[in-house]
Amino acid sequence: MFAKGTNKGFLGWMIFGIAMLALPLFASSATVRIFVFANYIAIFAISWDVLSGRTGYISFGHPFLIGIGGYTTALLTHHLDMPLYITIPAAVLVTMIAGTLFFLPALRIRGTYFALVTLAFMELMYGLVQVVAPDITGGTRGLTGLPSIVTGAVSNYYLSFGVMFTLGLAMWLLIRTRLGTALGSIGMNEEAVRACGLNTTKLKLFAFTLSAMIAGLGGAMYIHYLGSIAPRGLFDVSFLFTILVACLLGGAGTITGPIMGAFFLTLLLEFLRPYIPGSERYLIYGVATLVLYVLQPRGIHRLIQITVNWFVEGFMRRKST
Amino acid sequence: MLIQILLPGLLLSGLYALIAIGFTMIFSVGRVLNLGYGAFIMFGGYIYYQSAQILGLGKVPSFVIATAAGVLLGLIVYVILIRKLKGDAIAIEISTLIFAIVTQAAIIVVFSPSPKSMWPLIPGVLRVGDVIVTYNLVVAAVTSWVVLAALFLFIGKTHIGRAIRAVSMDPKGAVISGIDPDRINLIIWGLSGGLGAMAGIFLATYTQLAPAMWVAPLIIAVAVVIVGGIGSILGGLVAAHVIGMLETITTTLIAAELRGVATMLLIILVLIIAPKGLFGKAEL
Repeated sequence: MFAKGTNKGFLGWMIFGIAMLALPLFASSATVRIFVFANYIAIFAISWDVLSGRTGYISFGHPFLIGIGGYTTALLTHHLDMPLYITIPAAVLVTMIAGTLFFLPALRIRGTYFALVTLAFMELMYGLVQVVAPDITGGTRGLTGLPSIVTGAVSNYYLSFGVMFTLGLAMWLLIRTRLGTALGSIGMNEEAVRACGLNTTKLKLFAFTLSAMIAGLGGAMYIHYLGSIAPRGLFDVSFLFTILVACLLGGAGTITGPIMGAFFLTLLLEFLRPYIPGSERYLIYGVATLVLYVLQPRGIHRLIQITVNWFVEGFMRRKST
Repeated sequence: MLIQILLPGLLLSGLYALIAIGFTMIFSVGRVLNLGYGAFIMFGGYIYYQSAQILGLGKVPSFVIATAAGVLLGLIVYVILIRKLKGDAIAIEISTLIFAIVTQAAIIVVFSPSPKSMWPLIPGVLRVGDVIVTYNLVVAAVTSWVVLAALFLFIGKTHIGRAIRAVSMDPKGAVISGIDPDRINLIIWGLSGGLGAMAGIFLATYTQLAPAMWVAPLIIAVAVVIVGGIGSILGGLVAAHVIGMLETITTTLIAAELRGVATMLLIILVLIIAPKGLFGKAEL
C-alpha cells in the first residue's frame, strides 16, 4: 500500500517521537515553551505542505485559514461561552468551508495568480475584521482572556506535540499512497494527470479541504494556547513568512522537511536571542534563509539525504575493498 | 461632491500608476512576479529621507540619489538572485518575498521600527472650489504622467525599447534575432528598481515612512497588473485609474478603513470572472 522506503522512514519517526516525548524531562519550562511554539509552526507548515508542497498551488493565504479557525473558536467561546469540545470542531468545520472558498479560484487560475488571490484573501480578512462589527470581533485590538485547553508548559507541550506528530505521520503516510502520488503529480503536470483519467478537480478539492482542516485545527488550538487573538500578527505577512520559510527551508513536498524547517527556524531564532537581542536577529535569520534557499532549493531534507547517502556510500566502499 | 472624488481620485491614480509601472514591466518582460518590488519602494523612500532630512542634501539631489540607489538595488537583485534561479517562476516569487522581508529587517536595524514622517516635496495645498489637495500629490501625479510618457517613447521609439518588446513577446525569437535576453532583463530590473524608488519617495511623502510600508504598494501593483492584464502597459494605466477612483470613492463615501478592502474584492472578482484582466492578451 505504501511506497518503498516507508519502513526506514518509520524508524526516523520513532526516534523523533521518543526524543520529543523525553524532552520535558531534561529541558526547563522556558525551553519547553519554545518547543510548543515550534510544534504549532510545524502544524501550520504541514498544512501548507499538504496543499502547496504537493500540488504546486502555492498558497500565500494560509494565515487566512488559520485565522478563520482561530476567530471561529474565539468568538464562540468569548460571546456564547461554549465549551471547547464544541468550538474547536466547529472551527475546523468552518475552516474547511473556507478552504472550499479558497478552492473556487483554483479551478480557473494557477501558479502565480493563485498565490496572489490567496494573498488577497488574507489582506481582505485583515481589513474586514477591523471594520465589520468591531464590537463582536474586537476590532483592531482583538479578543483576550480566551480559555485554554490545558494549563502549564508541559501539558501544552504534550498536547501540541501529540497533534503535530499524529498529523505529520498521517500526512507522511498519505503522500506515500497512490493518492499522494496523484497529488504530487498535479504539481508536475496537471494535464498529464487528467490525461491518465484522474479527476484533478476532485483531487485538488481533497487537498484543499485536508489542508484547511489541519490549518483550522492548528489555528484554533494555537489561539487557545495564546489566550488571545488579534488581526495584527495573524493576518500578517511575517506570519505567512514564518510558515513559508519553514516549508521551503525544510524541503517542500516531503512533510518531514517542513517539520524540520519549523523546528530549525524556531530554535535558531530563540538560540540567537542571548547573543543578538535586537532586531538584527531577524536580519541574520532572513539572510541565512535566503542564502540557504538559493543554494539548495530543496531544503534541509535534501541536505540530510545527501549527507546520509554520502556516509552510506563511503561505508559500502570501505566494506568492498 | 463629484469634484471631491474626481480630483483626488485622478491624482491618486497617477501615483498608483507610477507605483505599478515598474512592477508591470518586470512581469511583462520576464513573466515573473517580483514580490520584492515593495522593497525598492521602501528603499527609495528611506534613502531619500536619509539624504534630504538627515544629511540635508537638498530635495533635487536627494531625489536623484534615491532613484540611482533604486536602480543599483534592482541590478543587484537581478544579478544575485534572479539570474541564479533561471526563470523558475515560483522560486523567484518566493525568494523575492524573502528578500523584501530581509530589506524590512535591515531597515529596522538601520532606521528603528518607528514610523517617520517625511516633509512634502513641495509644501502647500491647492484649492479648487472647496476641494483641497496637497501640492505634493499634484507633483507626484504630474511626475508620474511625465515618467509614463517618457517610458512609452523609450519602449516605442528606441532600439533598446524594441528589443524589450521583442523579449516580452517571444524570448526565443529574440535570441534568434541577436538580442541577449539576459541583458534586456538586467536593464528592466534596473529600470524597475529606479521607478520603484521614485514611486517610494512620493508614496512616503503621501503617507509615511515605516518598515512595513512595502506591503500596501505591492498589493496595489499586483492589483493593477491583474485588473489591467499581463503585458499591457495601457491596461495597467487604465487599471491604476480604476483602482485609484475606487479607493477614493470608498474612502470618501463609505469608510476610510475600507480602502484596501475594495481593492482586494476587485482582485478576487477579476481573477475569478476574467482571469486575463481587462486588456490582457496573454494566456495564464
